[in-house]
Amino acid sequence: MRRVVLLFWLWWAPFGLSAGELPVGLIPLDGRPAPPLRLADMSGKVTDLKGLRGRWVMVHFWASWCPPCRKEMPSIQRMAEKLVPQHLQLVMVNTAETDETVFSFLAVVTPDLDTLMDRDGQVTDRWQPRGLPSSFFVDPQGRLRYLALGGRKWDTPPYMSFLRALPGSLPPPGGPKNGPK
Amino acid sequence: MQRLSILLFASGWLVVAYLVSSVQAQEQAPGPIQGNKEGISYRLSVPTVEQIAAFYEGRGFPRRAIQALTKACFITVFLANRRQDVVWLELNRWRFVDAQGKEVPRLPRPHWNALWQKLDVPPAHRATFGWTQLPERRDLRPQEPVGGNVTVVPPRGTFTLEARFYTGARKEGKDIVLRFAGLACPGRAAKEVNP
Repeated sequence: MRRVVLLFWLWWAPFGLSAGELPVGLIPLDGRPAPPLRLADMSGKVTDLKGLRGRWVMVHFWASWCPPCRKEMPSIQRMAEKLVPQHLQLVMVNTAETDETVFSFLAVVTPDLDTLMDRDGQVTDRWQPRGLPSSFFVDPQGRLRYLALGGRKWDTPPYMSFLRALPGSLPPPGGPKNGPK
Repeated sequence: MQRLSILLFASGWLVVAYLVSSVQAQEQAPGPIQGNKEGISYRLSVPTVEQIAAFYEGRGFPRRAIQALTKACFITVFLANRRQDVVWLELNRWRFVDAQGKEVPRLPRPHWNALWQKLDVPPAHRATFGWTQLPERRDLRPQEPVGGNVTVVPPRGTFTLEARFYTGARKEGKDIVLRFAGLACPGRAAKEVNP
């Protein structure tokens, strides 16, 4: 019985967090279904958000020209090294840049991260982030639960604790592994 | 006679050197204005024509788009809400006024969207341009940053920006007013852009 209660608590704990208890810059969302997201990376490998059901997904929109994105990116890499894919799946989406630009940027700044390419910016537009960078947290049922406002230091204790507390931390059975290569 | 021609030649070069240096001086972007007022952190700068062209050229924008962009005056703004309540960014509450007290027209998103349509600018560049602009309206939550450009028709001489912000979740708080005087858009002729 105790185990059932613990599992229930682990499952619902993040939904019960109020805005005051969330790390700075994270806001709760209303749980509406996440917009469709099906994009390829630079090598042509396609990731569909629908295929990641059953896991928490951090969907991160970015562009190399955006100063806060550049500043934030190394902390995402450090966070991903510790938490992806055990605790969550990371889906990075570059907004409307070319392969050449993105390749040369990532090679220097965060060589271990991979990104999907929203070449014409249409997917980003559908998601309506509140600017770049923006990170959405999609729950295992495919619903939008949290949004990070602007760039955050993801590898610092408040954010790491928040991410670790997200339930559903089993690796996907043979599913795509975005984030660290 | 030879002395006179040498003198004329030398003075001609002096005039050219003076003109070049004065143009260079005009083209220099002034340093950013930054600070914090009533919990709104701000950083504001006016990039030069060359900086605007270089930024968008670097992202592969077509020549026709660069020509249009460099006719406008860009003001680059970064804001962050360091308050405990909501701050409302609404560009229609921002006023740009020239030294004679005349309103300087802002170039809102529909202006650019129509122009990109007319110039057949590719969707990726339209998207990038859109993300480099300040949103027209945003309820800035506590600790939320926002950044981007605001564009205006280049005024003659200096101009002032008065940015007003509602505060509070239902705009019930006291307005915050940020005022930036002595702004200038060097290198851009007035009346080249029709808002």
